[in-house]
Order: sequence, then C-alpha cells, then structure tokens
Amino acid sequence: MSKRSKLLFTVLMAFTLVMLAACGNSSTDDTESADSDDVVKAKVGVISYLTGSGASYGEAITNGINLAHKEITELGEVDIELKIEDSAGKQEEALSVAQKLMNSENVDAIIGPTLSTEMQIVGPEADLNGVPILGTSNTAEGIPQLGEYVFRNSIPETLAIPASVQKAIDKYGAKKVAILYGNDDVFTKAGYDTMKQVAEDLDLEVLTTETFQLGQSDYKAQLTKIKSLNPDLVLASALYNEGAVILDQARKMGIDVPFVGGNGFNSPEVIKIAGDAANGLIVATPWFAKKDDEKVKKFVEDYEAAYGMEPDQFAAQAYDGFYVMAEAIKNAGEADRDAIRDALAEIKDFEGVLGNMSFDEEGDIIMEPTVLIIEDDEYVVFE
Amino acid sequence: MLIEQLINGLTLGSIYVIVALGYTLVFGVLNVVNMGHGEIFMFGAFMGVVVTNILGWPLYIAFVVAIVVTGILGYFLETFALRPLRGKEGVSHLAPLISTIGVSIFLENVAHHFFGSGNQPFRTSLSELKFVLGSTTVYYVQIIIFVIAILLMFGLTFWLSKTKAGKALRASAENLAVASLLGVNTKRTITQTVIIASAMGGIAGILVGIAFNSVNPQMGLSFGLKGLAIIILGGLGNVRGAMVGGLILGMAETFIVAYGDSGYRDAVAFIAIIVILIVRPQGIFGTATTGRKG
Amino acid sequence: MLGELINPYYLQVSSFILINIILAVSIYITLGTGQLSLGHAGFMSIGAYTTAILTLNYNMPLVLGVIIAAIVTGIVGTLIGIPALRLQGVYLAIATLGFGEVVRVLFINWDGLTNGAIGLSGIPHLGREIFNLSKSMGIEPDMFGLKNNQFISLAVFFVLLIITISVIWFFVRQNNSRIGRAFSAIKMDEEASEAMGINITYYKVLAFGQGAMLAGFAGALYAHLMAYISPSDFDYHRAVEILIFSIFGGSEVIWGSIFGAVFLSAMPEFLRFINEYRFMIYGALLVLMMAFRPQGIIDVNMMNRFKRLMPKKRGEKKHGTGNKEDQ
Repeated sequence: MSKRSKLLFTVLMAFTLVMLAACGNSSTDDTESADSDDVVKAKVGVISYLTGSGASYGEAITNGINLAHKEITELGEVDIELKIEDSAGKQEEALSVAQKLMNSENVDAIIGPTLSTEMQIVGPEADLNGVPILGTSNTAEGIPQLGEYVFRNSIPETLAIPASVQKAIDKYGAKKVAILYGNDDVFTKAGYDTMKQVAEDLDLEVLTTETFQLGQSDYKAQLTKIKSLNPDLVLASALYNEGAVILDQARKMGIDVPFVGGNGFNSPEVIKIAGDAANGLIVATPWFAKKDDEKVKKFVEDYEAAYGMEPDQFAAQAYDGFYVMAEAIKNAGEADRDAIRDALAEIKDFEGVLGNMSFDEEGDIIMEPTVLIIEDDEYVVFE
Repeated sequence: MLIEQLINGLTLGSIYVIVALGYTLVFGVLNVVNMGHGEIFMFGAFMGVVVTNILGWPLYIAFVVAIVVTGILGYFLETFALRPLRGKEGVSHLAPLISTIGVSIFLENVAHHFFGSGNQPFRTSLSELKFVLGSTTVYYVQIIIFVIAILLMFGLTFWLSKTKAGKALRASAENLAVASLLGVNTKRTITQTVIIASAMGGIAGILVGIAFNSVNPQMGLSFGLKGLAIIILGGLGNVRGAMVGGLILGMAETFIVAYGDSGYRDAVAFIAIIVILIVRPQGIFGTATTGRKG
Repeated sequence: MLGELINPYYLQVSSFILINIILAVSIYITLGTGQLSLGHAGFMSIGAYTTAILTLNYNMPLVLGVIIAAIVTGIVGTLIGIPALRLQGVYLAIATLGFGEVVRVLFINWDGLTNGAIGLSGIPHLGREIFNLSKSMGIEPDMFGLKNNQFISLAVFFVLLIITISVIWFFVRQNNSRIGRAFSAIKMDEEASEAMGINITYYKVLAFGQGAMLAGFAGALYAHLMAYISPSDFDYHRAVEILIFSIFGGSEVIWGSIFGAVFLSAMPEFLRFINEYRFMIYGALLVLMMAFRPQGIIDVNMMNRFKRLMPKKRGEKKHGTGNKEDQ
C-alpha cells in the first residue's frame, strides 16, 4: 500500500470514527410523556426560513407560532415544548434540520418548513420516519400528496386564484386578459399554471403571457406590450416584492385595469412599496386582518403588542397551524407520532383566525378564501 | 408601441452603459475585472433610498451621498482586495478576480442584513414628470438618464485623453513600472481610478432607483453580470465599446420581450458573451491584442 | 446497541459533505491547469437534470442514469472546453459564468421537459432504492437492529463514501501520473510547458472535461439524494460556493480542496448562528485568502511537512517524486 493511500485511509477512518462518536450523544431519552400528570406533554419541532432573503416570511411564521404557544401554555391543556430550527430557505439545510429534529430531538410532530421546495424534500422523509408534519405556508400543488403524514393548513394557489379571478370577472365582465408571471420561482410559476387553467376554464381570451425574473427592476418592456393590447384585466402571479414594483410601473405607464394576484401578492407591504399604485389589486387569501370577528381582533391586537407590526397571512396561518397541532395532540391524548397523525386527520370544523378549517382525506385544508381588493390604500373585502 | 419600446430600451441601455463604464475604467488601468462593481452600484442605489425615502432629503443630496459612499467603498475595495495582490510574486492573474468576487458576496450580504431582502421604494417627484408626444408618453427621467450616460462617456474620454491625470492613468495602463519611473504616482492614479469607477456605479444606482422605483440587494448581481457581458461585447477597457455594447444590450433585452419570449431575456446577454468570445474574443471594438491579456 | 448509535441526522450532513467533496475535487481539477470556471453549477445541473429525466421519464435504473449523466456532462464540458481554450483567465471565467446562467435560463424555460421553476419531484431516492432492493433480496433492516430510516441513511452514506473514496483515489493516482505532471506544468507556465513538448490543448481540454464530468456526476448524485431538483438549486451562488471550497481549503493539492469542502460544509452545522453571516464570511474569506494565502489553507509545503511527520516507508523515493513536490 502506498503512503498516499495510507494517508487517505487514515483520514477516512478518522472521519468515520468522529462520525460514530458524534452519533453517541444522539440517543436522548424520549420518555418525557411518562409524567403522571393529566396534561399531555409533547415536543414539536419547527423548521423555519429565518436567515437569508426570505427571512421575513420565517420571522412572521415563528412569531405566529410563539404567540400561539404562549397562549396554549397559559391555557394549560397541553404542555408543548417548542424546538425552532432555521433552514435558511435551502433544501439541504431543511433536510438536515428535519433529520436533526426527528432523530436527535425526537420531536413528536413538525411544523414547517416555510417553502414548498423545502417541503418537497422534507415531506417524504418525515413520512418515512412516521412523523406528522404540518406545512403552514406551502401553497404549491401536490404537497399533502407527499405522504400520509404530510398536512397543510395553507390554502393552495389552485384554490385561491380561481376564487379571485372568478369574482373579478363577475364584477368587471372581463373577456380579455394579459398574464404576467415570474418564471424562475416555484411559487409564482405554480400560480401561473393555475391562472392558465382558470383562463381556459372560464373561456377568457389570453392576449399575451409575459414573464419576469426574481429581483428584476425593469418591467417596462413587458408592461408596454401589455398596455398596447388593452386587456380588461391583468392576471399577475408575483410575490409582493416584485408585484408591488410591477404595479407601480404599470400605473405610471397608464395601465389602469385591475390586477388579479395570487396568494403571494397579498401583503401590507404592497401598499407600503407601491403607495397609491396598489389600488385595484385583487387577491384571494385565507387571512383578512380587518375581519369583524372576536378571535381575529384579539389575535391582531396581541400580535401587534408582542411584535410591533400587523400580522400577515404567514403569521396567521402559523398561529392557526400551531393551534390545530395542539388540538390534535390534546385529542391524541399521548405524545405518540401515529396517534397525533390520526388526530390531525380527524380535525374537523376547527375555528381559527382564518375561519373554519378541516382536513380532507389527503391532508389538505378545506376552507373558503376571502377575496380582497386594495381601495384607498387599504385592503377591503371585494364584493 | 415601437417608439415606447425604443425609449424603454434606450433607458435600460443607458443605465447599462454607466455600469459598464465603471468596469471598463478599472480594467483599462489594472487589467482586472472588478466583480464587486455591481454591488457597489447597488449600494449607491440604497443610499438614494436612505436619503430620499427615509431621511426625506432632496434628490441632489442623494447623488452626493451616493457618490461619496460608493467612492469610499471603491477605496476600500482597492485597499483590501486589489492592492495586496499587486506586484506580489507568484500571485495568479485570477487572484484579483476571486478577491473581488469575495467583495461582491460580502457586500450583497451586508446589504441583505441592513436593508432587508425586499424592494425599497424610491420616492421622488422627478419620476412623475412627463410629457406626451402623440401617443407616447415620455418621462423626463428617461431623457435625463440618457443624457447622463452620454455626458459621462464624453467626460471620461475627454478626461482620459486631455487632462494630466488622465494621461497619467493611460500611462499607468500601458506599463505600470515605466509610468512610475516617469514620475507618475501610480498608487494614487490607481486608487483614483477605482474611486471614480465606483462613484460612477453610485450614479447608475441612483438612476435605476429613479427610473424603476425598485431597489433590492439582488440588483447588484443582475446588473453587474449584464455590465460584464457588455464590456466583453464592447471589448475590455474600451470606453466607446462599453457605450455601444450597453445600448445594444438594453435594446436587445427590450425587444426580445416585445417581439419574442420574455423568458429568455436574461439569456441574451450571456449567449452574446459566449458567441462573441468564441468568434471575436477581443470584443466588437477591441484590438486584437487584448484577447491575450487577462 | 448499533441502532442507537446511528443517527440519520449526522449521516445526512455527512452525505452532503461527501457530495461537496466531489464538487470540490471537480473544481480542483479545472483549477489545476490554471483555468477558472464559474460554470460548475451549470455542469452540476446538467448532470442532475439528465439523470432525473432519464429515471423519471424512461424508467432507467438509477445507476445507469447517474453514469449517463456523468458522460453527458463530460461531453458538454469538452465541447465547451475546446472553444474555451482560446480564452484565458478572466475571459474564461466570464464565459463559463455566462454558460452557467444560460443553462439555468434554459432549464427554467424548457417547461415540457424540466417542469420549469417548479422543478422535478419524485426522482428515485438513492436510499429508498437501496432499501427496496435489499428488501426484495430478503434483507431487512431489523436484521442489523436498525430502523428503516437508519438503514436508509446508513446505506446512502456508505455508497457515497465508497464513491467519494474512489474518486479521490483516482485523482490522487492521476496526479502522480504523466497527466498530473502535465497539469501542474501547464499551471506553472503554459508557454514553457508547450516548449517542453506538452500538448497543452489536449491536457487543458482534458482537465476541463474531467472537471465538468465530475461536477455533473456530483449533480446526479445530488438529484438522487434530494429526490427533488429545481433550477434555483444551481445558481451563481452555488458556483461561487464550489469555488470557495477549493480556494479556501487549498487549490494546489487535492487534500486542500477536500479539507475546504469538509470544513465549510460542516461549519454551519456546528455553529448555527453563523448561518446568518455565512455568505458574508465566505466573501471576507475570499478577500483574505487572496491577500494572505492565495494557495489556500493546505498547500504543498504543509503537505510535505505532514509527510515528513509520517513514518518513513519503503517505496518513499518512488512516490516521492510524484504529486506536486516538483513544483
């Protein structure tokens, strides 16, 4: 054996040994539910996008969860230990921390991850390990279908977009539409696929389909083209960041028709960035902060008191998601992964800040989205 | 629509030109592609946001602040990322490229940290001013950007060919050691160049903010890569090449959206680079020798 | 007993480290002839998409898919490498950067085949495939006292470990051969090595093609490890990350690049708070490394010192002339 191969072996052996040694401390006890108390004790892991370009989403989500956790702990019906991990919005990181939560922390259930792309990776792994996982912000198609243990309480774009388009068409009698979407992002591309389908179903004439890319600054070329075609409506599948800039440039250019957006377009930030230009944006959303409902009012108040800002849909969905999880753990009566999974599947007519929620047999949410429009720099219900 | 798209293309192209001039200036003197230029440009844009939006000061102060801040960033870039590598034995010619990539990654993430990842609005009354010509609306901003680009190009050409500092700079570009022997303070000349190039990036940043009302940390990368494509297109170190290359790219991107598939907009620049590099490595306006440098 | 020791979390992290090692070696080979490529993320994506499409649409076995992916990427790399030869240094870097972006835009727009930005999901998972295979052969994880997920993670880890060792072994051997010496001669001085009769065209294209092929291979493994890929996994930042592995760890010796990959991929796991500043640190690292230690943490001298510390063996002389001591 040559010296170099020897060296190689030494390094690899050392590496393997370190690995095994590191594994040694992993066998934490999961006998925490042995307490004789009536209260169910459980450990819930959260995977959230806390650093990087989408950190604002993850922050809202963890805020929502923390608030719900605080309230539930005060209620005292279940005793849940939270374990929050950062995925940085990356699939590899999300998978690593999911493995950590499932195997090192031995959590009983997981909430998250933030992005649908992350869920695509984490979902099957959680399913394989038999850990119930609840996505609170994954809106892409096919997420609950990843496995029996995969649930979500965020309404998919396939539900939100048809609702908003339908209402806009009823109101404005639109026939000709232009579609504008971000083609390099999962979220906006999925939204576009739904829009295309809806336009076909409703027999709308699609004048043109234009794309843009994340972080683009100049949308004038696309908008000039759209303007020259005189559509009755613009269907825009964009995240609020790009969407707000698009609205601003479109209004300056003289495109005055309403814009219909997806779930990602729905944020108070749109008004902040685009100002008056945001008026006339129609979105369908599960979350409406000004809803005349005691629960919603209390949530908004508490959230603002705790974090100094208005809760957006990410916060609200996470807040409700954690309540649903707590409900399931309570119903399961023990911190057992399979029991929690079954209890989650049985959740029916749960009343949260989003409204009435149930899971279908695949683990997808059943609920009615609210259609909103921005008028006078404010979101109001679109009638 | 054609005229409007032409104006759109010219506006975008003019901004590209100003970004590319910064690259070209540094390359001309140092033979270095400054990968951090895009991020310095982005910082210029953010300075505009801070001054006009957060502090509520007038626009001209934004220009001053952006020029000063990007100039300082340029100075730091030269001091930390370029100077230590200069004239050192055994340093690969790729070293400055890699260290400026480091600067760009660093600055992008600093901006993420301080300004957040989202778009920041840029509010000035200037961006609302417009006049109508027949069926087309023209914004004053669009004209201003075009004029600034032209002025910067001629200013730069004049400065390089007529002033003493410009001559010193060209001498340094020709041969650093000989220029130094002839009494040119090469260290100062180089620092000066990098600062001027960076300040031009700052100006471009503000102009983008006014024109598109959208400033975010990722814009440094996208405009920076386009700027790179332009200097390859026009020939590295060639001022007129940068001008023509920038306008061509701006037009091409606008027209592929208008009459082609908007999905391929970002690919135009890079396909152009690859084709140019294979067919004519010295760029459209470059002289044959530059192709061997680097 | 064994079952408790094996934690899929650590195995998962190690699997990513192994893939990153292959990526680091791939850029090391290209850098080894003085060529800087910023297109390795692009090559990686070609490999990943090739195997994903073959296994998903044509039911090809995973192993075959990975092999074809590596070959396809190698061919693409060679095709790019030939015209790229005319380009030097900065020009090559920018051309490869452009190549990477073009590939990404192509995958985004080629909706019918790649599903655009939504990406391809349901790609056969390496571990689950092995699991099913061993099950059909009558081997159950219970036999070793393992749970299913432990078995899967362990299987993936060992397969990747064997692959990575083979890759490293191959390139260590190559470094000590005629090819390796030609590579380092070209890196030192291209004109002089041409004068010495080294066919620089051949060796430069070979290095570029090998680097591309290895990146594509790593990409293919990545696809089967994640079971889901999308174009945004292979952007400019990925290319820079791959480059940093090698530049930080050391681009003169293969061990340097490997060290870089291990260290930089493991660091965020141990220091989670670093995550937020990770790319800031990467950026600063690049600047500092270029200024103070352009050859990377582990360089030839350090390797030599390390070798002297090792007990002497017979055959020392014979091998001693290899690697890079003659630089």
